[in-house]
Amino acid sequence: MRAAPVTTSSTTRRFGAIGVALVATVTLAGCQAPAPEASGDPVQGGTLSYASGDAEPTCLDPHVGGNYPQALLAGQFLESLVSRDETGEIIPWLAESWTASDDGLAWEFTLRDDVAFTDGAPLDAEAVKVNVEHLKDPATQSSTGYLALGKVDRVEVVDEQVARFVLSSPDSALLESLTQPWTAIESPAGLARGMDENCQAPIGTGPFIVDEWVKQDHVSLVRNDDYASAPADAAHEGPAYLEAIDWRFVPDAASRYAALQAGQVDVIDNPQPDTISTAESNDSLVWLDAPRPGAANRIELNSGQAPFDDERVREAFIRAVEVDEGIESLFFGTAERSYSPLSSVESVAYSDEALFEPDLDRANALLDEAGWSERDADGYRVRDGARLTLRFPVSTNQSIPAEQSLFEQVQATAKAAGFDVVIELLDLSSWYGALAAHEYEIVSAPYTKVGPDVLRILYHSDSITPAPSGYFANLSQLNDPEVDALLSDAAATSDPEARAASYEKAQRLILGGYYLLPLYDQQNSFLMSTSVQGARALPTVSTPTFYDAWLAG
Amino acid sequence: MTPGSPADRPSRVNGAALRRTGLLVAGAAFVLWAVASLTFFAIRLIPGDPAQAILGGPGSQASQEALDQVRRDYGLDQPLLVQYLAMLGRLVTGDLGTSYALKLPVADLLGAQLGGTLLLATLALALAWLLALGLAIWSTGRGRVASALGEGIEITSAALPHFWLAAVLIAVFSTGLGWLPPVATGTPSGLVLPVVTLAVPLAGFLAQVMRESLLDTMQQPFVVSARARGESALGVRLRHTIRHAALPAISLSGWALGWLLSGAVVVETIFAMPGLGRTLLQAVTLRDIPVVTGVVLLVALVYVLMTVLTDVVSRIADPRLRQEGAR
Repeated sequence: MRAAPVTTSSTTRRFGAIGVALVATVTLAGCQAPAPEASGDPVQGGTLSYASGDAEPTCLDPHVGGNYPQALLAGQFLESLVSRDETGEIIPWLAESWTASDDGLAWEFTLRDDVAFTDGAPLDAEAVKVNVEHLKDPATQSSTGYLALGKVDRVEVVDEQVARFVLSSPDSALLESLTQPWTAIESPAGLARGMDENCQAPIGTGPFIVDEWVKQDHVSLVRNDDYASAPADAAHEGPAYLEAIDWRFVPDAASRYAALQAGQVDVIDNPQPDTISTAESNDSLVWLDAPRPGAANRIELNSGQAPFDDERVREAFIRAVEVDEGIESLFFGTAERSYSPLSSVESVAYSDEALFEPDLDRANALLDEAGWSERDADGYRVRDGARLTLRFPVSTNQSIPAEQSLFEQVQATAKAAGFDVVIELLDLSSWYGALAAHEYEIVSAPYTKVGPDVLRILYHSDSITPAPSGYFANLSQLNDPEVDALLSDAAATSDPEARAASYEKAQRLILGGYYLLPLYDQQNSFLMSTSVQGARALPTVSTPTFYDAWLAG
Repeated sequence: MTPGSPADRPSRVNGAALRRTGLLVAGAAFVLWAVASLTFFAIRLIPGDPAQAILGGPGSQASQEALDQVRRDYGLDQPLLVQYLAMLGRLVTGDLGTSYALKLPVADLLGAQLGGTLLLATLALALAWLLALGLAIWSTGRGRVASALGEGIEITSAALPHFWLAAVLIAVFSTGLGWLPPVATGTPSGLVLPVVTLAVPLAGFLAQVMRESLLDTMQQPFVVSARARGESALGVRLRHTIRHAALPAISLSGWALGWLLSGAVVVETIFAMPGLGRTLLQAVTLRDIPVVTGVVLLVALVYVLMTVLTDVVSRIADPRLRQEGAR
């Protein structure tokens, strides 16, 4: 359930935690980006060259840890029980059908009977059982997949093709959780090889097979000629058109774009906003815009300690800062302002623009009222001799340069109301350290997860309790029994309308309490040469799939 | 100027050579020990829990049991001094440990990356030497304009940051002219831009040093006498003064190789080449202590070897060092 980090460039590798985000964008009303129209007849063969700016995984098995770079690659060779289509409907994949018991505590998945792993073993209920056990085994060190299956107690083999998930409590997010690559199904024999070996080349049922992983250089993927398990929304059946994928790790954004322009690679991820804007005017390049699901990118206000334990001060901050112009200019029109805690991909996302209308007079009045009525020589507000200082740790791994510049504008506009925003640029470990030590008043932390259940992770008071590592997801430290109850109800109900109503009420409370400043969807973009036809982003966690893709002349 | 040389005595005494070798080995061991110790303690000053690094990196939600287990397995629950001594013990037996992030032996990881970086650095050093020699010989003793021009080129190139130079080279030779690939994919053509990026600033440094000592040498009586014998200006440069001019640059090459290895961090990242520089960057971000220690030790070892090598080469180039150990 948590997601995946990304990095702007070099180095990060698996930080299993929160997601990070990188790129993305939003188009129009923010729906899932439509796949570029394919034109012409599919061409067999050829090697597609992909340059990834995400961190190189430290393990190719997304069960281990579980971050976005792993998901990007795993989508090419592993598959999940179910998928999600562009409208948000759950659709068949490795499971052809499923039913839930009335109490929501038992789910039976009927598997396709014509699917085999690439080591030749058949896909059966026993394999599903082994995978869930693998995810739940502490030795696997799973973080994302482990959390996603938190309510799954065990899997029972009903017959060869029917697996029963037995839950400890009802989970309306189970299907959404199972669409994610972090809970993909791998060959039991592959898993049995042990972590070290399985990490190098996991074995799945996907359209491609891991052939070779040369560290810091590339992963070679070759076509699975026996492939027969396309998701229900795929454009064709049978094996992929491409013969192979050459998946390269190119951490520098400028080099990636140069390689694409030079024709050295066919697809790049994580293009910077200025690059996307340049590429838009280039007829030989196509922009695939696929915002990530889960939470929108946002600035969280730490309500757990002064000064933001006072709602008036929180509202003053949100009324004081202006981000619209910054988003427009720094992102070159590639990112659309959000007013919701959820990604626009989520159908239950609730927006309220009026709450975020900048109003400096109101901000000043609120601060006066809250006791921050005096200013020091530098123009910052003080109370009892203490300055109104907001520590803002920024992860240079998670925030792209444009976002870092946007935060400087936040700093500048907040100063007008007398806030002293102190931006600290930190590497990922130091950043998590600052959060764990509560050394922040504001923070931006992307989070990817399929479905609105991400709200429970980010805003339920349970998420204030840190994991042993010090990590906790509720960074606004929102602690409201009413929100807790709504989010718990939504997670347990099987009635879609009741679920949507609970999520809307919860979002109203979260936004209305001024706990966060939404910015834009988690940016997730790809640039492709026009010779690449039929590629699309999976509407699960927006990773690209090249199963339907071919290279035109 | 040449480390180790003050200890020298004439080579006719056999014991002296032995003593010199002994001192070199002891010096090298001391340097490696100091580097290992510094790295060990320095890396603990930056935030980040090694147990977390092992269990999925920063921000992981590892359980307390898993963290405890890992601390026991890796000896992280021991006092710092015990951990330190254990590390030294392993190093003495040649064991660099296992990567926290990749769970593979550090020696294997570095072994796979060393070749690429050494090739890059060696080619860059060779190219830098060629460029520097050419520039120094061309611009020295040819009047004020050539000298000023030479100096200008040297200072400018020495001041070029790698990341900027790389971006310009990619823009011109890949995006503009389409001659060379922007991402190195193991082909010889892919090496050109990274090598040039590393070599140009270094050539600036080397040429500066060379030109000064070349100028100095040009004033020497033996140059005048060679000219008097009818040697041409170029002939004097090639036959008589290069050796002298090269001496300080040779000593600098030890330093230069180290400098190139640090430049490799930037260059390997920009050109997406596998190598030690990228390995180090990744390892630092992930708090992968065994890998960081391994890379730093390896670089220190290269430094030590280069120092010895430059010492030997200086002796070959300068007969005076062979005679008296005096400069």
